[in-house]
Amino acid sequence: MMIEALIAVALVGALVTFLAPNRIAGKLAFAISLVPAALSLWMFSAFDGAGNALLEGDLAFESQVEWLQLSEYSISWFVGLDGISLPLVVLTTILTTLAIVSSWTPIDERESQFYGLLLFIEANLIGVFAALDFFVWFIFWEAVLIPMYLLIGIWGGPRRKYAAIKFFVYTNVASLLMFGAFIALVFALPEVTTFALPDVATAMLNGGPEAMFGVAGTTLASIVFVAMFIGFAVKVPIVPFHTWLPDAHVEAPTPASVLLAGVLLKMGTYALLRFNFTMFPDQVEAYAVPIAAIAVISVIYGALLALAQTDLKRIVAYSSVSSMGYVILGLIAYTQFGVGGATFQMVSHGLISGLMFMAVGVIYNATHTRMVTDMSGMADRMPVAVGILVAGAFGYMGLPLMSGFAAEYFIFFGSFGADFPYAPIFTALAMFGIVLVAGYLLFAMQRAVFGPYNLETDYEVSTAPLHDIAPMFVLLGLIIALGVAPDLIFEMITDAVDPILDGGEL
Amino acid sequence: MEGVFSYAPAIAAFPLVAFVIALAFGKYMPKKGAFAGIFATLGSLVLSVLMLVAVASGEVYHETLYEWAIGETPSGIGGIEFTFGILIDPLSALMLVIVSLIAFLVHVFSLGYMNAEGETGLPRYYAGLGLFTFSMLAFVFADNLLMAFMFFELVGLCSFLLIGFWFRTRSAPSAAKKAFLVTRFGDYFFLIGVVAIAATFGTLQFAGDGSFVAAAEAAMDGTGEAWTPAGIGIESWVTVTGLLVLGGVIGKSAQFPLHTWLPDAMEGPTTVSALIHAATMVAAGVYLVARMFGYYALSPTALAIIAFVGGFTALFAATMGVVKDDIKQVLAYSTISQYGYMMLGLGVGGYVAGVFHLMNHAFFKALLFLGAGSVIVIMHHEQDMWKMGGLKDKAPVTYYTFLAGALALAGIIPFSGFWSKDEILFDAMIVGLEEPVILAAYVMGLLAVFFTGFYTFRMVFLTFHGEPRSETAEDPHPVGWSIKAPLIVLGVLALVAGIANLAPVAKLTGLDITFLQGWLDGEYGAVEGLTYGAYSDLLAYETGVIGSEQLTVLLAAGLSLLLAFSGAGLAWKLYNVPEPVAHKERLGSVRETIEANYYQDEYQVWLAEGLTLPFARAADRFDQTVIDGLVDGVSTGSRSAGSRMRRLQTGIVTNYAALLVAGFIALLVVLGFLGGWFL
Amino acid sequence: MSVGIEHYVLLSMGLFCIGLFGILTRRNALMFLMSVELMLNAANINLIAFALYHGDLTGQVFALFVMALAAAEVAVGLGIILVLYRNFRDVDVTVPTTMRW
Repeated sequence: MMIEALIAVALVGALVTFLAPNRIAGKLAFAISLVPAALSLWMFSAFDGAGNALLEGDLAFESQVEWLQLSEYSISWFVGLDGISLPLVVLTTILTTLAIVSSWTPIDERESQFYGLLLFIEANLIGVFAALDFFVWFIFWEAVLIPMYLLIGIWGGPRRKYAAIKFFVYTNVASLLMFGAFIALVFALPEVTTFALPDVATAMLNGGPEAMFGVAGTTLASIVFVAMFIGFAVKVPIVPFHTWLPDAHVEAPTPASVLLAGVLLKMGTYALLRFNFTMFPDQVEAYAVPIAAIAVISVIYGALLALAQTDLKRIVAYSSVSSMGYVILGLIAYTQFGVGGATFQMVSHGLISGLMFMAVGVIYNATHTRMVTDMSGMADRMPVAVGILVAGAFGYMGLPLMSGFAAEYFIFFGSFGADFPYAPIFTALAMFGIVLVAGYLLFAMQRAVFGPYNLETDYEVSTAPLHDIAPMFVLLGLIIALGVAPDLIFEMITDAVDPILDGGEL
Repeated sequence: MEGVFSYAPAIAAFPLVAFVIALAFGKYMPKKGAFAGIFATLGSLVLSVLMLVAVASGEVYHETLYEWAIGETPSGIGGIEFTFGILIDPLSALMLVIVSLIAFLVHVFSLGYMNAEGETGLPRYYAGLGLFTFSMLAFVFADNLLMAFMFFELVGLCSFLLIGFWFRTRSAPSAAKKAFLVTRFGDYFFLIGVVAIAATFGTLQFAGDGSFVAAAEAAMDGTGEAWTPAGIGIESWVTVTGLLVLGGVIGKSAQFPLHTWLPDAMEGPTTVSALIHAATMVAAGVYLVARMFGYYALSPTALAIIAFVGGFTALFAATMGVVKDDIKQVLAYSTISQYGYMMLGLGVGGYVAGVFHLMNHAFFKALLFLGAGSVIVIMHHEQDMWKMGGLKDKAPVTYYTFLAGALALAGIIPFSGFWSKDEILFDAMIVGLEEPVILAAYVMGLLAVFFTGFYTFRMVFLTFHGEPRSETAEDPHPVGWSIKAPLIVLGVLALVAGIANLAPVAKLTGLDITFLQGWLDGEYGAVEGLTYGAYSDLLAYETGVIGSEQLTVLLAAGLSLLLAFSGAGLAWKLYNVPEPVAHKERLGSVRETIEANYYQDEYQVWLAEGLTLPFARAADRFDQTVIDGLVDGVSTGSRSAGSRMRRLQTGIVTNYAALLVAGFIALLVVLGFLGGWFL
Repeated sequence: MSVGIEHYVLLSMGLFCIGLFGILTRRNALMFLMSVELMLNAANINLIAFALYHGDLTGQVFALFVMALAAAEVAVGLGIILVLYRNFRDVDVTVPTTMRW
């Protein structure tokens, strides 16, 4: 019942915050959000699961209740955690708490609604990572969009309406594609009468779908694989489905950006791992080369785009596209270090991009500009905030002893010797991203935070308050902890990843 | 002595603690955190010396401290463990002492150089120095390639932080960025090499039976297994991976063509330059080659490339050094050139010679940089040598120690630089007699000796001799003990360090005085396989002699001495006059090319700003117009279709009724046709 | 000659067509409403006629329902017409086209 408790606390907390007066909403939401954070940390320490959730693993905190019966298909409330989902749940709760604290400064209207929506998003994100029944999962998956749409649309920048609608429609259309494909798959699978993901996965690995509408079973599986891949690719996002991301990030208020980059993008890669890469091993092998090519293009192209930007938030947004390319590369490698590293990168990138957005936000709070061309020498006036920004940037560049290096190293090592054709060449090409990322981040920092102090806007710049800085220190601490001791989570991740690579044989 | 080694982690931990202390509390401490760093590096130095003593008594230490990550190799050759471990053998013990000694002296020197000048941000400076020392020491005693890579990268970070110390200027952040970026470019290849070696052999250990060197050897003998991509032969794959790792070496050790960051790095404080050039960042590259020398020894191609790059860089950088007016710039190019010698030495299989020169260079280059720092203090932060002159009598300590360093750099007997440089050239010569590529490298190295002698003494004469050429030179700023003491220590070392390996004397007289060779050959204690002897067995080089060995030794030494003296003599003639003038015009059209550093910066900046940046902008435009245009196009398309369609809604209820009826009738007709009414 | 089911159907059809014609040609909202009533009643005639024809009372009950619904509809329709008149000073159905999008 622990997962239910997590979700319930966040949901009730959202409601309470919604009704609370604006004055205390921020502090109240922070206090409430500490409960799921503490609970999830306790769950992390008490985790006793083994294996993969979809492949007859031992689930932790599992609960299953019959819910609905639609003709012969039954839907149940089915949640549980394995080594892949637990780190992501912990990431969600911690990032939400920190995002709430980091919104104290910038959010000064409709506070109770803002913080209520943050908690509401948290509840749904936990649901996405914990749900093991397709319908329950899909409800959470879609419900995440609503609060994020509102967060961007109400508290966003000047083009917030455009960005919010683009975000909502784009990802929603993609979800429709994925939803249709998955339902078709379930109908085509023999002897499957539930939407429970483990049942579907087992059926997929034991023969796959039968012919339907005159389409052969293997063809159908390939179509479903491609449709679901595209559906999730929009969410990740992978080039060429990435254009909603920079717009959404630029317009979103800082805390929403933190959650968007930190957790929402991981929904896509998490779903790719859970669905495409667990249920369709044959298709993964068949489409390895095009997917690896897409991964490499995402890395290099995303980095090039970041290089051309002058808006700090846009730089970080495009670099997220680049980083997500690494995740795809790790997944397609289909080796322990590759898939494990991809999962590790989800967590690591969540922390690092969260840190980067927070740091950019703190600077924006003071300067009211994010353009690197408008400022110079910010390190002079905001030494601590800039120090953390620089630390975060080096984390992004994959500096050793920070989590980004561990993730990237695992992925590169996992894919270099992988089985798919031209694996070393693809890996070497993708690795060039580590040079480009250093290029654009250092270039941006050289212009914005170093050099003589100069600011184009008329705002008074002073050092940032403690409650803006403290969350960033927490994130930095976590990043370094994971970089020095990746086994904190890598061990449980590989434990959950191994069954996937063994084709479900435990 | 086993007990001593349990303190080995503390060697690196001390400076790390100093980093934390200086960063967190430096503001409130006397001297802004300097003492934390001084005591920490002193502690490291003491422990390092203890390690050296322990190794001398025949002990070595190889211990895995900590498991970073474990798992299966993707290439299916079993499990792999990524660990942090400590390897203390003769090579690393020697290097630990060098690094911690230089770091300690630089810390002391900083008291006079940085604190006395009323700098702001000193806690940041000392924290940076602490982190730098920590990274380098941990790199030195790393027992596997991944750990080495990690600290190699951290060294790069520290160089970024320290070169960009004066971040309020425009040039320092730019130089810092360039240093990190260029070395990152090298590290890109290094990382591919690490990944490839790990995937190939399933291990990254430097030493022992489980090392990748042993695995490569076994695989080449056909007794071991290894994975290679696409069925490449193991010999060529070892060469490829060795060269990939070499990419990182070329970046960090500033070898051609990735040397361009180093002269710019002079934007940092001079103390930082001393640390970077003598003992940490730049030394890291060459040290790495020495550390995994067994692997390179397996690949003659890789070694020949190392030798050739080294020889070429030695000459190439030396020619650029002769036209520089800034005292630090001259030293910068001399560093590039000297590391070229070390690469040449290692590339021809002269493992002892390369390490020997690494050690000597650490002493005399630290001395020269600190001496230059002292000159800069004396000159009230003037670096142009043409504004100096006549400092000889006004700052005797600086002058004589600087002179010792210069003599060592130029390779004048009996200063330390002579012995090691001569040994490198001797090794290159005997191999070169059989291998034409090496011969070319040797000739370039030999020519560089002349230029080295010239630019070194041009610098000495312009700075210290003649008449003062500016007001500040007539009225120098006094320097304190914290500046003089490190200079004296290093000056003595620059003079006497050569005793460690008097190879020519040993060869001529038959005396057993090649201590360093014995040290590295495991006469006192060593890890099996990591000795000079073991490496020599692996080498495939043939060596030749001219006449007899004695004659060859004399010939090699005589040639390099002759060239060094003629270079120095030319400088004497041109610049040791009361009122020296520039002689660059005599170089004619070559001058412009050399002053522009052979346009190396230009093309690399063009690669970044002339090629990549416009390409990125084009990609951005493509993204905004084509890809995002498609997305927006779908939405505008559906919206405009909608606005067309809505014209059906006239708002006149009669039309709706008519449409309703028409639709009903149409439906009837269609159903009728399908139902066969009209047949 | 007895009155057969076809006569009722013809009557109902005629009535329906008159109502349809009214809807398609009239512009006065009141006439519009009356035409709708005519069409509803045409349907009612059909319902009752077939109820008689089949000897089943269900159709007659349905007719009662339709009448009740028609009454309700007229009430709503008249309300709409009143509002229309208040806003546009007219009961011409072609005038209030501004309410379309």
